[in-house]
Amino acid sequence: MKKSIETIWKEGFLNSDSIVTPKLNNLYNKKSEHIVDKFIRMFKINLVAITIGSVFILAMSWLVHIPYMGIGFFVLLNTLAYFNFKLRVGSNKIDKNVNSYQYLKSFDLWLNEMISINQKFSRIFYPLAILSVVAGFWFGEIGGDIPGENFVQFLLEQFPNMILVFGFPLYLLIGLFTFLALIAYSAGTIYKWDLNIVYGRIFKKLDEILADMEELRS
Amino acid sequence: MSSDFYTSSILPHAAIIIKICRAYTNSQEDFEDYYQEVCLQIWKSRSNFNGQSEWSTWVYRLALNVSMTLLKKKKNNHQHFASDYLPAELAEEPRAFADEPLEQLYNAIRQLSEVDRGVILLYLEEKSYQEIADIIGSNANNIGVRIKRIKERLKKILDEKIN
Repeated sequence: MKKSIETIWKEGFLNSDSIVTPKLNNLYNKKSEHIVDKFIRMFKINLVAITIGSVFILAMSWLVHIPYMGIGFFVLLNTLAYFNFKLRVGSNKIDKNVNSYQYLKSFDLWLNEMISINQKFSRIFYPLAILSVVAGFWFGEIGGDIPGENFVQFLLEQFPNMILVFGFPLYLLIGLFTFLALIAYSAGTIYKWDLNIVYGRIFKKLDEILADMEELRS
Repeated sequence: MSSDFYTSSILPHAAIIIKICRAYTNSQEDFEDYYQEVCLQIWKSRSNFNGQSEWSTWVYRLALNVSMTLLKKKKNNHQHFASDYLPAELAEEPRAFADEPLEQLYNAIRQLSEVDRGVILLYLEEKSYQEIADIIGSNANNIGVRIKRIKERLKKILDEKIN
């Protein structure tokens, strides 16, 4: 090596061509695409996991003789996955030939629409999921016995004057449906909480980027 | 980011940002991304500048931290590109600098660890050991020893390249 590194450095940068300042444009271009891609990827994986999970629950419920629970979950989870696969197609329609801000805004709009639809769906989903668990255990077969029948028998021994509606204790039905109504009422909040566990970090990042971009535009 | 802020507070230091970003990237595309990210972070963090150091020192520190973080992220993400699987000679990007010895020096610097790259860049920019220590978060004595080792390593790499 003839020259010292200090000399190479100095002489190299004497040539003004060595310093060409890149243009600042589309500052958030890559970040925007990255965050949207990440969400879509996670969303897809989640839906596939829900579908596989529904088959697993169905098989397990059959094995432990509580098939109604498995069937209920299988139908509910697959309906949920189907609707969300349909909703996901909407994300492909987001125009990429716009600037990063417009792109992220469109994505945010699609996301909020999807969350809103799912919140409505969750008002049916959560109560039915609970009903499936109750039905699974009530009509299931554990150790050769049917728990629901045994329970009614036990209650009748304790409260002989108990009112039955189609074989179910009336007060139990009232309690169950009150609970389901409460769950349906707060389903939107439960869904949001559920959603934040999985996608919370992405949502936070998206909000941060949008806030930055709005500040940049102002 | 207002163009005023860019022109008055970033552009005068663009040369050092460019020099730092070049040392942490292998392609023009990555270089431009790093440069933009550094500028963006300077703008976003401008309220954190408390005036205890020179604005230029603060820019150096931020540029180094952002570049090191981005490089680490890239390594952790295991992002592989087609060029990663090519032999070194074929994978080389078109030269970033017209000056060949400078380009060779940059290639040698890129073989150093993230921190060593920062130290040698600051040394080549004629920052004092104390300034380098302040920027890197070390002490001046350690920096002196470290620079000696880095220079020997760079000399070895460059000699191997020539031979």
